[in-house]
Amino acid sequence: MAALEIDNVRKVFGSKTEVLKGINISIENGEFLILVGPSGCGKSTLMNSIAGLEDITDGRILIGGKDVSGSSPKDRDIAMVFQSYALYPSMNVRDNIAFGLEMRKVPKEDRLKEVDRVAKMLQIEHLLDRKPSQLSGGQRQRVAMGRALARKPKIYLFDEPLSNLDAKLRVEMRTEIKKLHQNLGTTIVYVTHDQIEAMTLADRIAVMKDGIVQQFGTPQEIYDEPANIFVAGFMGSPAMNFIPAPIQKEQDQLVAKVTTADGRTYSLPLGQRGAALKDYEGRQVILGVRPERISEVNITEVEREDVVVVRAKTEIVEPTGPDTLIHIDLNGVEVGCRVAPDSAVKAGEEMDFMVDLSKAVFFDSETEARI
Amino acid sequence: MVNTHMAQRSWGFWINRGIIHALLIAAALFYLLPLVVMLLTSFKTMGDIRAGNLISLPAEFVIEPWIKAWSSACTGVKCEGVGSYFFNSVQIVVPAVLISTAVGAINGYVLTKWRFRGSELFFGLLLFGCFIPFQVVLLPMAQTLGWLGLANTTAGLVLVHVAYGVAFTTLFFRNFYVNIPSELVKAAQLDGAGFFRIFWRILLPISGPIIVVTIIWQTTQIWNDFLFGVVYGSGDTQPITVALNNLVNTSTGIKEYNVHMAAAIIAGLPTLLVYVLAGKYFVRGLTAGSVKG
Amino acid sequence: MSAEEPLQAAKQSGGLLQRMEHWIPKMVVAPTFIMMLVFIYGYIIWTGVLSATNSRFLPSYSFVGGLQYEKLFDNPRWETAYTNLGLFGGLFILICLIIGVMMAILLDQKIRREGVLRTIYLYPMALSFIVTGTAWKWMLNPGLGLEKLVRDMGFENFSFDWIVDPDMAIYTLVIAAVWQSSGFVMAMFLAGLRGIDNSIIQAAQMDGASMPRIYWRIIVPSLRPVFFSAFIILSHIAIKSFDLVMAMTGGGPGYATDLPATFMYAHSFTRSSIGLGAASAMLMLGGVLAILIPYLYSELRGTRNG
Repeated sequence: MAALEIDNVRKVFGSKTEVLKGINISIENGEFLILVGPSGCGKSTLMNSIAGLEDITDGRILIGGKDVSGSSPKDRDIAMVFQSYALYPSMNVRDNIAFGLEMRKVPKEDRLKEVDRVAKMLQIEHLLDRKPSQLSGGQRQRVAMGRALARKPKIYLFDEPLSNLDAKLRVEMRTEIKKLHQNLGTTIVYVTHDQIEAMTLADRIAVMKDGIVQQFGTPQEIYDEPANIFVAGFMGSPAMNFIPAPIQKEQDQLVAKVTTADGRTYSLPLGQRGAALKDYEGRQVILGVRPERISEVNITEVEREDVVVVRAKTEIVEPTGPDTLIHIDLNGVEVGCRVAPDSAVKAGEEMDFMVDLSKAVFFDSETEARI
Repeated sequence: MVNTHMAQRSWGFWINRGIIHALLIAAALFYLLPLVVMLLTSFKTMGDIRAGNLISLPAEFVIEPWIKAWSSACTGVKCEGVGSYFFNSVQIVVPAVLISTAVGAINGYVLTKWRFRGSELFFGLLLFGCFIPFQVVLLPMAQTLGWLGLANTTAGLVLVHVAYGVAFTTLFFRNFYVNIPSELVKAAQLDGAGFFRIFWRILLPISGPIIVVTIIWQTTQIWNDFLFGVVYGSGDTQPITVALNNLVNTSTGIKEYNVHMAAAIIAGLPTLLVYVLAGKYFVRGLTAGSVKG
Repeated sequence: MSAEEPLQAAKQSGGLLQRMEHWIPKMVVAPTFIMMLVFIYGYIIWTGVLSATNSRFLPSYSFVGGLQYEKLFDNPRWETAYTNLGLFGGLFILICLIIGVMMAILLDQKIRREGVLRTIYLYPMALSFIVTGTAWKWMLNPGLGLEKLVRDMGFENFSFDWIVDPDMAIYTLVIAAVWQSSGFVMAMFLAGLRGIDNSIIQAAQMDGASMPRIYWRIIVPSLRPVFFSAFIILSHIAIKSFDLVMAMTGGGPGYATDLPATFMYAHSFTRSSIGLGAASAMLMLGGVLAILIPYLYSELRGTRNG
C-alpha cells in the first residue's frame, strides 16, 4: 500500500497564481522521497499541503490509503522538521519533545519514557533541561528531529532541515539522517534545493519547477537519464555541459559534430542511440555531457568506440583538490571538463581531452526534452 | 562614531570636548529646572515664595502644602484635595490598561499568525485609529455614554480608553508577533495544539517584553489623559489631571502656588516612577508606537 | 507565496469542530472590528452629520448644509485658533527638530554619562501636559517666576510677562511644549544615528572629510526618515494640543491662545454650539489627513520600491 499518494493536486493562490499544477507522486512505506527544485518551484507549498498547513485547490492527498485532503494537520499523523527548527522558545528541550504527546493526552509517565528513548537515540540526553536559546545550531537540529520522532507518525516531513547549518555540520547531519532512516525504516518526505542532499539521501526524487514535477525517479535514473535540460542542469555539480551540435551521417553512422575555438572539427559517434536520433539528421540537437565524462586521455579507455579524443585550448583552469576543472570552447559554448590535477596544463595551452559518450544524452533543441 | 586616536589628542580636542559637555549639561539643567522649581516651591510657605525666587531654598521647610493638596485644597466647588481623584485615576487606569493590553495581544496574534482575507485591510483601518484627533469622536461618544448610562462614571472612562487604546496595543503586539517565525505556530499545529492553546503555551510565554512595553505605554497614556477625563468625567469621577487643572485654574481666592506644585507632583508621580523604573521599555514604547505607525 | 495562512482545512470532509476552528480567529477579532467600525468610523460620520446641523446645546437633526462651516470661517476666534496653530505648530516642530538633532549629535560623541543625561532629557515625556502646563505656568508667573529670579540676579529691569501678554502668550506654549517633547525627538535621532553603518563614516574619513563635514554631508542627510517620522509625530501632537493650553493659559488672555482643539471643546461643551464644534472637529481631522496621507503614500511607495 502506498504510504503517501498525491493525486493530481493543484493549488491556486488568489485567483491567478497557480503554484501547483497537477502533482502526481506516490511512494511506498519506508521510502525516502526528496522534493527538489529551485526556490519558487512549489516544493514548500506541496510540503505544507501534505502537512495540512495549506489547503489544496484540487486533487487528493492520501496517507496510508486514507484521504486526508480535508483533515486538519493534527489528524494527519505526520511530524515535521522545519528549516528554522521552530523549537518553542519558552520550553526546555524535554518539554519541546513531549509537547506533541501532551497534546495527544499521552500520560505523563509514558511521555517521559518516550523523551528518554528519543534523547538516547539522538544523543541529546545531556541537553534535556536546556532552553533552545542555549543550544548550538546542530543541537537544535537534533532536538527538532527528536520532537518529530517522539510522536512516531506515519510520515516525517523535513523542510530544508540542513540549510541553516554550516557546511561541515551539514554533511554530518546528512549522514545522521540517512542512518536514522535506515535504522527506523520510516517514510520521509524531504524538501531541499540542494541537489547533493537529494542524490545522497533519496530513494526517490521528484524534481520540480514552476509547480510541475519535471521528473520522478530514483537518483541514478535522474542523474543518468534526465527527462529534460532543466533536470539535467539542476542535478549534478558542476553542471552538465550543453553543446548545440548538428547531427550528420558519416559512413552510415550518425555523428554529432563539434568544433573547437581554433577550428578543429570532430565527429562524435552516437552508437546505438543513433536509432533514436535518426529523425534529427541534418538538424541541430543539444548534446549533454557531464564534466566527468570529458577527462584527460586514459590509455585503457581511449580504444573504446564511444570515446573520442579532442584537442582544444584550455581557457580557464580551476583546481578543486581531488580534480581540476578546465573550461574549453566547443561549438561556441563553454564546456567544463574534469581532469586529474596531474594532467592539467596551464590556462591558454592546448591539451588532449577524452570525450566519453557512453552516458551522453541528447535533447531536442526546441522542446528541451530528452530524445 | 568619532574615531580619534589617543596620540592625536591635542588642545583642540579637549576644548571641543569641553564645549560639548558644557552644552549637554546646560541642556540637562534646562530640563531639570521645572522639576527642581516644583519641588522647592512645594515645600515653601507662601510668604517664603513671595520673599524668595524660583530657585531659592525654602527658609522654612514645610509639608503643609502637600497635606493640603492631597486632602483639603479646593478643586472647583469641593475642597477635598486631589487624593480622591488620584484613586479615580487608579480605578480608570488599571482595568483600562489590562483590558486593552489583553485585547491587543490576541488581536496581534490573529493578525500575524491567522491571517484571513481582509485582515490586512482591517489592520490598516485600525491603525488609522491611532492617528485621528479625538475631537472628532467626542460628541458622539458623549451621547453614547449617556444612552448606556455610563456618563460621568469611571466605567464610562474605562470603556473610552479601551476603545481608543486597542488600536495602539494591537499595533504593538502585531509588530512584535510579526517577527516571531510562523513555523512555531505550524509546528504546534502539527503537534495537535489549537488556536487558544498555541497562544497560551507558545506565544504568550515569550511576549514578556512587549507586554511590559504595552502596559507602560497604556498606563502613561491613560493616567495623563485630560481630554476624555474633562469631557466624560464630572464631579466625583474625574481623573486627577482634571482635578489638578481645576485646582490650579480656580479663580476664587488667592493662588497657593506651593499647593499647586505639590498637587502637580502628586499627579505626575506615578508616570514619573514608571519612567524611572522602566525607562528602557518606556522609550521602546514611544518609538514603537510612533515610528512604526 | 504566503506561508502565513495556516490551516484552512474544513473543506469537503471537515467536521463541525474544524469549521469552528476556522472561524475562531475571526470571532476573536470581531469585537475589535465592531468597536472600530462604531467608535472610529461611525463616530466620524456621526460628527460629520452633526456638523451639517444646527445643533446647539443638544444634538438636533435639522440640516443646514454648510452653514456651520461658513459660520466657522466668519468667526474671528476660529481664525485666531488656526493662525495660532500654524504659529505654535510651526515653531514647536522646528525648534524640537533642531534641538533634537543637535543634542543627539552631541550625545553621540562617546559621552561617559550618556545614560544619565538621556534619562534627564526624556523624563518630561512621561508627564501629563497638565503637569507640564502647571509647572511652566508657575515658572512664567510675571511677578514671582523667572522674572523675579533674573531680577534677583541683578538685572533689575528685566521683564518677562509673555504669559499675560495676548501677543506673546502663544510663545510660552511653545516653550513648554518644546521642553516636554524635544527630549523624545532627541531619542529618535539618537536611535537613527546609532543605526548608521559605521563603515560609511570610516570611508568618508579615509576620503579626508572632517567630522563636521561628515555630519553635515553624510550623517544628517541619512537621518531623513527620522526627520519625517518626527515631523509626523510632532505635528500630530501640535494639532491635538489641548491639555497644555487648558493648563497654562486656558486659551487666554481673552482667546489669544486658542487652538482648534480648545475651540472645539469650548463650543461643543461650554458654549452650546455643538454644530459649530462638530464642524471644527471635522476640519481638524482634515488637517491630520492632509499631513498623514502624503506621508503614508510616500511610506508605501518607499516599501514597494525597496
